[in-house]
Amino acid sequence: MCMELQLGLALPGSDSWSRPLLKLGLYEDINVNSKKRGFDHGYLEDEFSAASFKNYEKGLVGWPPVETWRRKKLRCQVHNHMTAAENGYCGGRASNSTYVKVKMEGVVIARKIDISIHQSFETLTTTLMTMFDIFDENRRSFKLTYQDEEGDWLIAEDVPWR
Amino acid sequence: MPKRLAYSLPDEVLEHVFSFIQSDKDRNVVSAVCKSWYEIERWCRRKIFVGNCYAVSPKMVIRRFPQVRSIELKGKPHFADFNLVPDGWGGYVLPWITEMAGAYPWLDEIRLKRMVVTDESLELIAKSFKDFKVLVLASCEGFSTDGLAALAASCKNLRELDLRESEVDDSSVHWLSHFPETYTSMVSLNISCLGSGEVSFSALERLVSRCPNLRSLKLNRAVPLDKTANILRLAPQLVEFGTCTYSAELRSDVFSNLAGAFSNCKELRSLSGFWDVVPDYLPAIYSVCSRLTSLNLSYATIQSPDLIMLVSHCPSLQRLLVLDYIEDSGLEALASNCKDLQELRVFPSDPFDAEPNASLTEQGLVAVSLGCPKLQSVLYFCRRMSNAALVTIAQNRPNLTRFRLCIIEPNTADYLTGEPFDVGFGAIVEHCKDLIRLSLSGLLTDCVFEYIGKYAKKLEMLSVAFAGDSDLGLHHVLSGCESLRKLEIRDCPFGDEALLTNAAKLETMRSLWMSSCSVSFEACKLLTQKMPRLNVE
Repeated sequence: MCMELQLGLALPGSDSWSRPLLKLGLYEDINVNSKKRGFDHGYLEDEFSAASFKNYEKGLVGWPPVETWRRKKLRCQVHNHMTAAENGYCGGRASNSTYVKVKMEGVVIARKIDISIHQSFETLTTTLMTMFDIFDENRRSFKLTYQDEEGDWLIAEDVPWR
Repeated sequence: MPKRLAYSLPDEVLEHVFSFIQSDKDRNVVSAVCKSWYEIERWCRRKIFVGNCYAVSPKMVIRRFPQVRSIELKGKPHFADFNLVPDGWGGYVLPWITEMAGAYPWLDEIRLKRMVVTDESLELIAKSFKDFKVLVLASCEGFSTDGLAALAASCKNLRELDLRESEVDDSSVHWLSHFPETYTSMVSLNISCLGSGEVSFSALERLVSRCPNLRSLKLNRAVPLDKTANILRLAPQLVEFGTCTYSAELRSDVFSNLAGAFSNCKELRSLSGFWDVVPDYLPAIYSVCSRLTSLNLSYATIQSPDLIMLVSHCPSLQRLLVLDYIEDSGLEALASNCKDLQELRVFPSDPFDAEPNASLTEQGLVAVSLGCPKLQSVLYFCRRMSNAALVTIAQNRPNLTRFRLCIIEPNTADYLTGEPFDVGFGAIVEHCKDLIRLSLSGLLTDCVFEYIGKYAKKLEMLSVAFAGDSDLGLHHVLSGCESLRKLEIRDCPFGDEALLTNAAKLETMRSLWMSSCSVSFEACKLLTQKMPRLNVE
């Protein structure tokens, strides 16, 4: 199962709840070897899968240098309704990575952050501030938001740290 | 004496002589001989190649070359393929099309790579160039099937439509049906990148049946396997074929129909596609295998035994693209069966898994380097390598011109000695004197760049990642590699000093890309001051 958790960082007073400034996304690599994959996992042409290609163990964007279209084509292969499908697996195991993609408004390139090494929103925010070069005094001007599965943007601190 | 000769030959004669000179380099040299040759040459140059669309403005190109028929433009840097270039960077083709629409009414060929092409651009092409023949959009984006429909409807002499690896939005219009019934000119059609909704099979069938000159057809995966036979029977003259989905329940009637259709294709030399391959259907192509020179199995998730069986039927193979499922054993079989092999590309089936899921190591590549005397071009993804293997490969194959090695885990050392790969890649550049393209990976110090600067005199393109210790590495490359045109670097400790010291070098190159290095903004500003004609971002 995959979680689509996205966190956003926004200036207060801005009408940016619809377009959050800082997005975190948690994308879990699909266990393509599992015979119990749902049918919807067979067609990976949505944005979710495109983002999951960016979720590597080391949080490296663009590495290994396999073209995006090549990865998409390989992943998009359907394994279910064909009887000889067990020959056609994409290989690999599910990654246990807890890296999330973080995007801040105005900064085009996303970064990666390992959620599992943080114990609270405080430490998470501190790390994010350093990552995006936001000085301490400006810290209060930014808000952490996340996008749930329905696409609604909610304030992160409203949810207990899991 | 030469001067008098130049004046004594009439312009028409010179123009006729120049018409035999096709390469850009030669044409550029010709135009530098004297003013009159420059003038004659610029009026009769028909093909333009612009490797970096920001190097020159369309107006300037048009001013110098008023009668161009064919243009090739490249936009985004190579690393854009790996998501390293942000959205909205640029590479828009519309300004070029707009200018050329007025200036080149007889333009008949446009080839674009990594550019943003909108439907508006495609519609403008369809409207402006009456004799339009060739459109190649390689790794482009920004357009939909609406734009394709405009082309189909208007370009009655369209011969080639190749959308390789482009991202096309589905606007739900059945664009193939926009080719009028009177249209019969198609020679080469590559729609392999299109999604499921974007191709109407019956329109495709009708198109294929009325284009007797069709030589190259690459389908998208939405076309089911049992329809493939229909297409092949309509176009037995095909030289290149990209299959659609190669998967279906195994049925003997479908199989024999397919095998029969393939056996009719006596001209077939190149096969690709093979998505969702079911190994049981592979023998359907055996009748054409002995003539195949190019085989792209890089989407075929089939295992080594099936791959070995397949390549052993293809003794004439010159080019093979395959996944690492081929394993060392498969590459050994390749080395013993395919003595004409010139190009090998082995892609990772699961690039993000730290553990190998196929038994592919440096041994496979060594075997091919030994067994295939004509091997020139290598792209190889693997998880382990040794300096010894690299040295062996270099000694076996000094005729290599392109060597791209990707050891998947950054900073991986020689698995036998724990050393960096300086010596191994050093051997490659030392022995392979005609090397024009090199990609490095694994653990590397500044030493490897010293070797590269010293030996790689013909190197034109170098890709570097997670390598080097200091600015000295970059300095060696920029000061030593005389033929260098494209340099792309990520995550290396290269900074301001090497860049500024070698600023003049940059003007001789097409592009330099650096990301996650140690270059400062101030240095970039200094660079623009030093070299005002450079585009620096």
